[in-house]
Amino acid sequence: MNPQNIVLGVIGADCHSVGNKILDAYFTKAGFNVTNLGVMVSQDEFIDAAVETDAAAILVSSLYGHGEIDCEGLRAKCIERGLDRILLYVGGNLVVGKTPYAEVEKKFLDMGFNRVFRPQCDLAEVVKILKTDIAKAVRG
Amino acid sequence: MNERRFASIDIGSTYTKGALFALEADGFHLRARAETSTTVENLADGFGRVRGELAADGAPVYLSSSARGGLKIAALGLTADLTLSIARMAAYSAGGKVVRTYSYELASDEIADLEALRPDIILFTGGTDGGNSAVVLRNAERLAKSKTDAFILYAGNRKIRDRVLALLDGKPATAAENVMPEVGTINIEPAREVIRKIFLERIVDGKGLSRVVREIGRDPYPTPLAVYELVGKIGTTQPGWSDFGVIDMGGATTDFYSHTEAFTGGDTILLRGLHEPLLKRTVEGDLGLRVSSAALWDSERAYLTSRLRAAGRPLEEFDAYIRFVAAQPDYRPESAGEKAFDEMMAAACVRAAALRHAGTLSKVYTPQGGFYVQRGKDLRRLTRLVGTGGYLARTESAALLLEACAPGNAEADSQPLLPILPEAYADQGYLFPLLANLAGDFPDAAARTAVAGLRILKG
Repeated sequence: MNPQNIVLGVIGADCHSVGNKILDAYFTKAGFNVTNLGVMVSQDEFIDAAVETDAAAILVSSLYGHGEIDCEGLRAKCIERGLDRILLYVGGNLVVGKTPYAEVEKKFLDMGFNRVFRPQCDLAEVVKILKTDIAKAVRG
Repeated sequence: MNERRFASIDIGSTYTKGALFALEADGFHLRARAETSTTVENLADGFGRVRGELAADGAPVYLSSSARGGLKIAALGLTADLTLSIARMAAYSAGGKVVRTYSYELASDEIADLEALRPDIILFTGGTDGGNSAVVLRNAERLAKSKTDAFILYAGNRKIRDRVLALLDGKPATAAENVMPEVGTINIEPAREVIRKIFLERIVDGKGLSRVVREIGRDPYPTPLAVYELVGKIGTTQPGWSDFGVIDMGGATTDFYSHTEAFTGGDTILLRGLHEPLLKRTVEGDLGLRVSSAALWDSERAYLTSRLRAAGRPLEEFDAYIRFVAAQPDYRPESAGEKAFDEMMAAACVRAAALRHAGTLSKVYTPQGGFYVQRGKDLRRLTRLVGTGGYLARTESAALLLEACAPGNAEADSQPLLPILPEAYADQGYLFPLLANLAGDFPDAAARTAVAGLRILKG
């Protein structure tokens, strides 16, 4: 895997594009080669892009509350397609309603995501975590 | 006589055709035509006969050739929807015929298949620049160890180009810029140019073509590449022709060319997948009236069966006709019944070639409202559609070409982005390939003459 390369996008039938552009700019500035797939991205599009770029991580956003359905099975599909070591991050408004965050986090960790982020989080912190996780993954 | 004359000769797999043109201020004027069967054993014989008949003494000769069934390319990519899809685009736009595609790591049976296929070129892609190297390098090793003698053109991840070429040392191989330097960025021109050069060096050699080339002192062009460039020149130079398509239907393949912006967007339409090029060619090896008729019957059975039933014709009779013409590539139908069969096959070719060339538009319901997602190329703005190739050049029927247009089903949630109601034209003199030869040196005159020679089809 190439530690600089990451894939970014908003999953499913979700058209929220503002946050996506902010993330693209921020991660690029932090030194990553960002492949930004934009909005309404399918699982296969995330995986194709990660395979071609040899990405270290896929960063999935979901803002419209259907994140659970959209993200289900992504880890398994990555493994099937040969991305057995890739980091999967997810963040945003992942579920509808007032589910406590701890439950949301557990649900997505169980799905195979390495990190789950709240709607509000410090991007500097995310970059730091991402670099640490990638360094660990590269060492195997 | 001091008019400037040019001869153009096209050596096809069945016929060698030629024309003598005079260049005047308003374009080319046809002075003579000639045609003979292609002399497969020695292409120079047929060429010499046509040249003699044209009485082209002293006139410069421009040559194109699709003999030997054209340029056979095997395309290798990493993922089917990204690098492999772009590799296929590059092969088609270079005038090649894609004989096989492979993705991910080459398996041993795929290597065996590749060795047996003996393509002229293996277009080897995979990975963005700085992207995947593991799979690409393993494929390079496997190709190096294989028995294939095809020319290998590497147009994948640029960062490992030297390592790939080192691995392929001992094989005829070269490299071009990556066809997809970043995800979704299409960069096919450099690979296309290299394929054109390989065509000249490798394919010209043999069957008497090298002698012809020495005689005329000019490199030949692969016919479909010449036509591709002519279509581009018509699109950029002829008023009213910025959005048009050409269907070239032959005995073995049906080629579809389009010149139109692939995606024009709008607030509620989102493009997913690749943004396809303004000028695009696709080649369908299973759509043809003679050599490929059996393949056509397989691929388009549902459509053909419904046409046969509607006409009250027994399927067995059609089946027998298919087998008969497949063995006789130059057969012309005689009875009304045979003509009707050919017409149905032609309609099936036009329809399927258009559907495969065109993208789709699907309605997607989201919490933010209804959206449309476009995939592939939008052909709805094509205002003109030209038929060429022996059969379509002779047709009187606009309805046949309009098989390429959308069935009127606007309600469906996913619809093909086919042309809506273009004007239909026939390249009545079958001049496209011959003018295409001259388009490199005389783009405006060739494009203008190609358009002026078309016959508009009614009804």
